[in-house]
Amino acid sequence: MSETEQTEIFVQQLAECQGRLFGYVYSMLGEHSRAMDVVQETNLVLWRKRAEFREGAPFMPWALAIARFQVLAHVRDQGRDKCLLDTELVAVLSDETERQVDQLETMRLALRRCMSDLPREKMELLRLRYYRAMPIAEIAKSMGRKADAVKVALLRARRRLADCMHRRMQEG
Amino acid sequence: MASPEINEFERLLFDWEDGTLDATGTTRLRDLLRTNPEVRKLYVDRQMFSAILKLDGDAGIGSSDTGHGGIETAVFSTSERDRLLPCADSENTVKVPTVLHATKDSVEGVDRRYTSLLLVVAASILFCVVLGRWLLVESRLQSAEQVKPAPNEVLPGKEEATSVGIALVTRLVDVTWHESEKQFTVGDALSVGVVGLESGVAQIEFFCGATVILEGPARLVLESSTVARLQSGRLRAQVPPAARGFQIHADDLRVVDLGTEFGVAVNEGEADVQVFDGEVELYQPNGEQRLVTAGNAITQAASGVVEPAELTPDQFLGLEALDDRVRNQKEDRYQRWLNHSMKLRKDPRIITYYSMEQDRYWKRKLASSVVPENRDLDGAIVGAKRVVGRWPQKSGIEFKRPGDRVRVNIPGQFGSLTFACWVKIDSLDRWYNSLFLTDSYQRGEPHWQILDTGQLFFSVRLGGGPGKGHHKVLSPPFWDASLSGRWLHLATTYNVETKITAHFLNGEKLCEERIPDELFVKQTCVGKATIGNWSSPTRPEADFAIRNLNGSMDEFVLFRDALKPDEIRDLFVQGRP
Repeated sequence: MSETEQTEIFVQQLAECQGRLFGYVYSMLGEHSRAMDVVQETNLVLWRKRAEFREGAPFMPWALAIARFQVLAHVRDQGRDKCLLDTELVAVLSDETERQVDQLETMRLALRRCMSDLPREKMELLRLRYYRAMPIAEIAKSMGRKADAVKVALLRARRRLADCMHRRMQEG
Repeated sequence: MASPEINEFERLLFDWEDGTLDATGTTRLRDLLRTNPEVRKLYVDRQMFSAILKLDGDAGIGSSDTGHGGIETAVFSTSERDRLLPCADSENTVKVPTVLHATKDSVEGVDRRYTSLLLVVAASILFCVVLGRWLLVESRLQSAEQVKPAPNEVLPGKEEATSVGIALVTRLVDVTWHESEKQFTVGDALSVGVVGLESGVAQIEFFCGATVILEGPARLVLESSTVARLQSGRLRAQVPPAARGFQIHADDLRVVDLGTEFGVAVNEGEADVQVFDGEVELYQPNGEQRLVTAGNAITQAASGVVEPAELTPDQFLGLEALDDRVRNQKEDRYQRWLNHSMKLRKDPRIITYYSMEQDRYWKRKLASSVVPENRDLDGAIVGAKRVVGRWPQKSGIEFKRPGDRVRVNIPGQFGSLTFACWVKIDSLDRWYNSLFLTDSYQRGEPHWQILDTGQLFFSVRLGGGPGKGHHKVLSPPFWDASLSGRWLHLATTYNVETKITAHFLNGEKLCEERIPDELFVKQTCVGKATIGNWSSPTRPEADFAIRNLNGSMDEFVLFRDALKPDEIRDLFVQGRP
């Protein structure tokens, strides 16, 4: 296989795993922009180490192993002030997260179907909170509702959507 | 049922994400993660969920607006369209499959499609940057794709301008509206959207036949002619058999009526449902379903737990109680108008005033209300009928047939003028629909009428050759069929000092216009004239002859002065039914 062909396969696999990498890193860090940074660093390391990657071996476990290392490094650097998980918790939670990340695309599609069934008000709440990353206080202000009420509504919406997502995934 | 630790964890995690969790809370959160395997499982679940939403948000799925970094998704833009469209339900089912198809494509297809493109870049130094920006690139590519179908999807959105209603506002008592929400008046059709009451009571009749009495402060979201969502506040619903299946959603609870009367209250995440008559079906978010029969009540705590509760029907204002309040309000408003009218009669600026309030005995005479009394100003009712006016206590005059009219004779020379009246227009059948027209329309005589386009029309005759005989001041269209049968306050001022003519609807200025010097007339007069029609003895052409109003009038006043906007506003406020 020519070098160009090898590079092509590598880039394709790297491209395909971006969503799952983000899913893993975000789950560990819980903060959007820092998760993006760590994914970016992980990509860089993967690219540099592409020679180490053995053709035919599964790509994802290798990428996740490197991502985990990057997350641990980030948690160590940033410390407890900024990160919810410490290195110990990252270690404890990584296995379960990696298992779930495998199903990320399936979950993504299931979730979209569930969201299309959601009442408008709930969707608007989720949109502001998750897509716009708007703080609860601001959402409450923009909708003329109390922060507590927004919180209760969002918590319920999230619970309901998560349940729906799992149901849909079982349905296939 | 979730354990207390799970519930606590969810709240803590939620606050942490929001950046509002303190150090103690964060420590507790970590402890829960360390000690409880169930919590750990849920943590991964919730984080994955958030990550997916973030991915979709960043990818800008469905976004047609890349300029603002478009982070709306297809699912959500669908919902936004629905909110504007009246027929939300049918739209939704049509749109969703296409959206799913498109997003499926993008999830599985885009990566591969652009791999080759990326390869070229990969060789260069830019590679790292590109990879880092991967999600952004993906988002742009998807955005670009999503832009294409947009034109097709915009079209149904445009049609929404014609507001097809799903319910009507039938009564309002002492209502103040939430300032960020739309304001409504009695008779307004409501489409999909929010009714936000700061205080007072609104009666809303859904097209399916259900009647809802909403007590402020409250926020009700109308979703269709059979579904409404109570976000906060209190309501009582009366559902006749024809409207069975009417639903009120109280946050996560779905109350489906089986033909009855029930009350719902929502406050800070807590929901109460009380059944006064008949029975309702209650659907809980966990899929549980229960029947609540007459005389029973349930309450859902903020935690989601549903329990039986005590019935308190007095807390929910019923139709009969509302009747009393409406009657009281009507009486109050009538008295307020009467007091105001008594003062108005003595205003020295008045040329003529028909309060249309008295003279039940002189049925064919429209008595002038001007004080001191001047019987020469009395009008003669021809054809037109006396009907109930703005209030049951008071009469008005109805113009229906082409001959219906009130004849008046107003001598004198004037300068500035103000016309004002309360009118209920049934329809605008004629090219010109008369409010007040002088007979011969000679120099200095005013014509006040409404065009079939719904525009107020005012002119003062200059005289001279045809066509150049006056300058007409037209308001923007203010009337359409949705205002049919509603009492409106119309006013027009003609100011000879400023040469400005201004039109007013319900106390608000519609427009004003300065009359060009060459068409301006300083001295005005009236003489023989007609209210609600036109009598033109000097010009008997058939095509001009029929200008009868199709509707009713209740109070007509003419001043020898151009009233200020706040005075016009006061006329409206004091006389509002």
